[in-house]
Amino acid sequence: MRWKTALCTLAAMSFAAIMSGGQAQAAENAKCGLSNGKAAAGDPIIIGGIVSVTGPDNFSSSGLAAAAYFKCLNANGGINGRPVKYLMQDDAWNPEQSSQLAAKLIRDQGAVALVGNMSFVDCGANQGIYEKEDIMVIAGVGVPRDCFFQKNYAPTNAGPRVSNTKAIMDLAATYPGKIKRIVCIAPNIPNVGEWSCTGAVSWIKKQGGDGKIITFDPGSLDATSLVLEAMAFKPDAVSVGTPKGMAVPIFAAAEEQGLADKLHWTGPASLYNLDFPRAIGKYWDGKVTVDMELKAADANTPDMNNWLAVMDQYGQKSDPRDTFSQAGYLAARVTAETLLKMDPAKIDRKSVTAALRSVKRFESDILCAPWYVGDGPRHNANHTGPVAQVKDGKLLPKGQCIDAQDPELDDVRAYEKTIGISN
Amino acid sequence: MPDFTPFFVSGLATAATYVLSAVGIVVLYRASGVVNFSQGALGALAAFVSWSIVENGGPAPLAWCAGILVSTVLAFLYGRVLAPRLAFSDPVMRAVATLSVALILLGFMGYVWGELPRRLRLPTDTISFELIGVRITATRAVAFALAVLATVAVMVFLARSRLGLQMRALANNRDLSALLGVRVLRADGYAWIISGSLAGVSGILLADLQRLSGQTLTFAVIPAISAAVIGRFSSLPATVAGGVAIGVCEALLTPVPVVGPFRTAVPFIFAVAALLWMQRRFTFVYR
Amino acid sequence: MFTGERDVTDQTLAYSPLVDAKRVRLKRVAAVVVALAIVVVLPEILSNYWLRTFISVTALAIGSLSVSLLFAQLGMVSLAQYGLLGVGGWFALRISHGLGVPFELALLTGGVVAAAFGLVVGLPALRMRGLYLAIITLMMAGAIQVLISAFGFPDGGAGILGKSTGARIMMARPQLAATDEAYFRYAMVVLALCYGVVFLHMRGRPGRAWAMIRRSEVCALAGGVHIVAYKVWAFTLSGFLAGIAGGLLAGGVGQLDGSAFPASQSIMLFALTIVGGAYSWMGPIIAGLMLRAFPALLNDLGVDGNIATIVFGAGLLHALITAPQGIAGQLQEAAVALRKRFFGSSGAIR
Repeated sequence: MRWKTALCTLAAMSFAAIMSGGQAQAAENAKCGLSNGKAAAGDPIIIGGIVSVTGPDNFSSSGLAAAAYFKCLNANGGINGRPVKYLMQDDAWNPEQSSQLAAKLIRDQGAVALVGNMSFVDCGANQGIYEKEDIMVIAGVGVPRDCFFQKNYAPTNAGPRVSNTKAIMDLAATYPGKIKRIVCIAPNIPNVGEWSCTGAVSWIKKQGGDGKIITFDPGSLDATSLVLEAMAFKPDAVSVGTPKGMAVPIFAAAEEQGLADKLHWTGPASLYNLDFPRAIGKYWDGKVTVDMELKAADANTPDMNNWLAVMDQYGQKSDPRDTFSQAGYLAARVTAETLLKMDPAKIDRKSVTAALRSVKRFESDILCAPWYVGDGPRHNANHTGPVAQVKDGKLLPKGQCIDAQDPELDDVRAYEKTIGISN
Repeated sequence: MPDFTPFFVSGLATAATYVLSAVGIVVLYRASGVVNFSQGALGALAAFVSWSIVENGGPAPLAWCAGILVSTVLAFLYGRVLAPRLAFSDPVMRAVATLSVALILLGFMGYVWGELPRRLRLPTDTISFELIGVRITATRAVAFALAVLATVAVMVFLARSRLGLQMRALANNRDLSALLGVRVLRADGYAWIISGSLAGVSGILLADLQRLSGQTLTFAVIPAISAAVIGRFSSLPATVAGGVAIGVCEALLTPVPVVGPFRTAVPFIFAVAALLWMQRRFTFVYR
Repeated sequence: MFTGERDVTDQTLAYSPLVDAKRVRLKRVAAVVVALAIVVVLPEILSNYWLRTFISVTALAIGSLSVSLLFAQLGMVSLAQYGLLGVGGWFALRISHGLGVPFELALLTGGVVAAAFGLVVGLPALRMRGLYLAIITLMMAGAIQVLISAFGFPDGGAGILGKSTGARIMMARPQLAATDEAYFRYAMVVLALCYGVVFLHMRGRPGRAWAMIRRSEVCALAGGVHIVAYKVWAFTLSGFLAGIAGGLLAGGVGQLDGSAFPASQSIMLFALTIVGGAYSWMGPIIAGLMLRAFPALLNDLGVDGNIATIVFGAGLLHALITAPQGIAGQLQEAAVALRKRFFGSSGAIR
């Protein structure tokens, strides 16, 4: 237990050091909802959230950000006087537990919506109950394919497939004509592995290049074999499309083989974490790019600073300030702003679902393009974002936003035309 | 035809950690009749303890020693306090009892450290040299050397020392040895110490070569058990050969299309094949 | 390699049927009444969270029954049963999506295919038992894990693997039991049927043959028991039960996750069957409760889920060293002790 405390302190301290720049800018008061400074005291509105805390990785920062935002909202007038009771549950990466929790939140507690979900198993396990109860899930972070292929699940993030595609597109734009052969590495988790890489590979093939997908068993990761397998394809670029924990040994194995200068290395937003440059070490300085699903934490724009202020004033010091936290904040904000437009006495699951489905344009300077829910059969509204580079122990954004040219998004784009998001 | 050399070289280091673990399992089984399923969990604990000490600013060599000490002491305590209470039950039940140790350690490590992304770094990681076109870190060389050294040391110990003689006697016939004045618990205790320390070394190396995760390291016992099965839980040279074969085959299959994704099944296939080969003549299991 | 002389604590000696001819009718009637009451009342009083938890508990109780069948009847340790659960679930899903057959048929198909896999797992048992059998079944569990994590579970798509490229399709529940309450009742009835099948075997010829094989294969052979057939049949039946459990689990959630069937779960299932008490009919139910309801309780209370693993490990150690009959045995001892206290030394209700 002592170790745990020590670790937390250590993490918090290193984090505080990294974030001190951001905090200085975010000194102003957090703004949420009505921003009237009056604590809400009415009949609470129940909103749930399913995240994965225990298990292979602590996958909860999106839920923590949503919790912080709702806390801020309740201190600032709530939903026209009614506070939000946010119930965040841990599904422990277990689909059965996830489905039990969905039943608990939706049927036992009577949640009107789920917000800030962040889990590998939730989308698949709970699709049935979400559709049956017709409850809308404004997820923070969706990872497997299921999260982007159902009517009642709208994540604010872009997903690993879009993210991998953007990472490769950015490299091709930076080194024109140099990126011909790519390798995309992913864990062989069903509905994640192959799928997350296919976008990038089909894009490079369309450009006349060639690509290879390597999936591995996350239970027995032999990073060196993996890197050697990737090198056997003689690639110009490698995208390490794994959760951060598995990426670290892969980069270490590549370092062992001295591969940073022989080809280009990149990765999707799952690697985007302020701690990532330190975890992979100095060797990789300036040699890795990482896709971002949302803009950089230190962009110093109004909504970005508001997110940081909310986290500082209403979250814990130990809550991560990463992309997923931004996604959770956005999910909570869009939900709260939608609820604020409703008659506070007539908020129930049916009306909330209808109101959320009618969100056709939601803007924030954290997002590159407007976000929406809409009434389409699937949701992948976020497919445009910047890319960052590892530099001097930091992740520096490289500039403009990139729109993922993944053929799988054709139906999404067609829908966007009908609601006037794109033309 | 892909170039297999780099895979061969990288597989040798992983194989070395399997060998270390498997030698510990075989020595323990020969002396005390217990198949230790918690070998991997003990190694994981050693790695976590080392990692924590280094992370809190402790000197690295001290950290490794502390890690190995923890796994050794724990193995010894189990062997001295709990294992004797099961001395008269089925060999299966004695093996299953070590599973409970693995479960307790797994839960403990999950509770204290969680499954956050970590890797144990050794100073030998930054030193590397080139061999037949493959860059090899010193850690891999050290792992290989340690496996060779440990196997030779254990074999010499069993062949030459008095304690080793007693252990061999116990392996042949426990009751008779006890009758002849072999101090069973003492010999058992030493066997637990040897296997606990080998588990620690193997765990620390594996945490560096692969990653520091309670689940992964705990179940790294499976290839080690497979190697021990190939050695019929008695022959050290056969065990070593088995461990090397499993580690190298796993790595060599990596670039082969179609079967590549299934390469993690190598230990299972080896063990099942070895068991079936050993039992190829139809015999009743008389009891 | 294994000397039989040392097996002083052979649990098989301690097992004697707890049937008292006079009380049997009363007991049976009472058991049926209690079971019916549970089937009717329990789903009504549980919250939706616990309802879904108990669906899993019921499925896992069947899984544990398949472990205890091998362990208590034949003295064989199979560490592959949770893997067989996955196999049963896989085929139940595949059949249900691919052919749109009624749930019962999908469930039975899953059971039959898992039985075939169980047979394969059991083949080495013809030549080995004890430790090597435990190890070989563990290796098979590992191999099943590799296959499942490479292929994933079918989710309504085309092709042999049934992987969807669009939206995921959920497994259809039985027509009678679309709601969670009804499905829980349905699962309990399936559990009761599984118990029925096992009891019929235990009371009949196979039970006697298994008991002889357990005591001594030489005796069994001398007694004219077809050892190979009865051993194979035990493994097949146990695989069938595991497959049914997997199908029930798939129907409960609507789908299965490829990462949920590691070899470690098979170990856990075996361990908890011992802790629950493999020699008693209550054991599998207790094991199911511990495997699913206990972690759910911890989660509901906000306690770290890793604590459950520690408790399971300690429980296993305790069961092996001091309570070979498991929790069920301890409960029965406590009941007998109570009865002695209230009804005199004979311990029977007159």
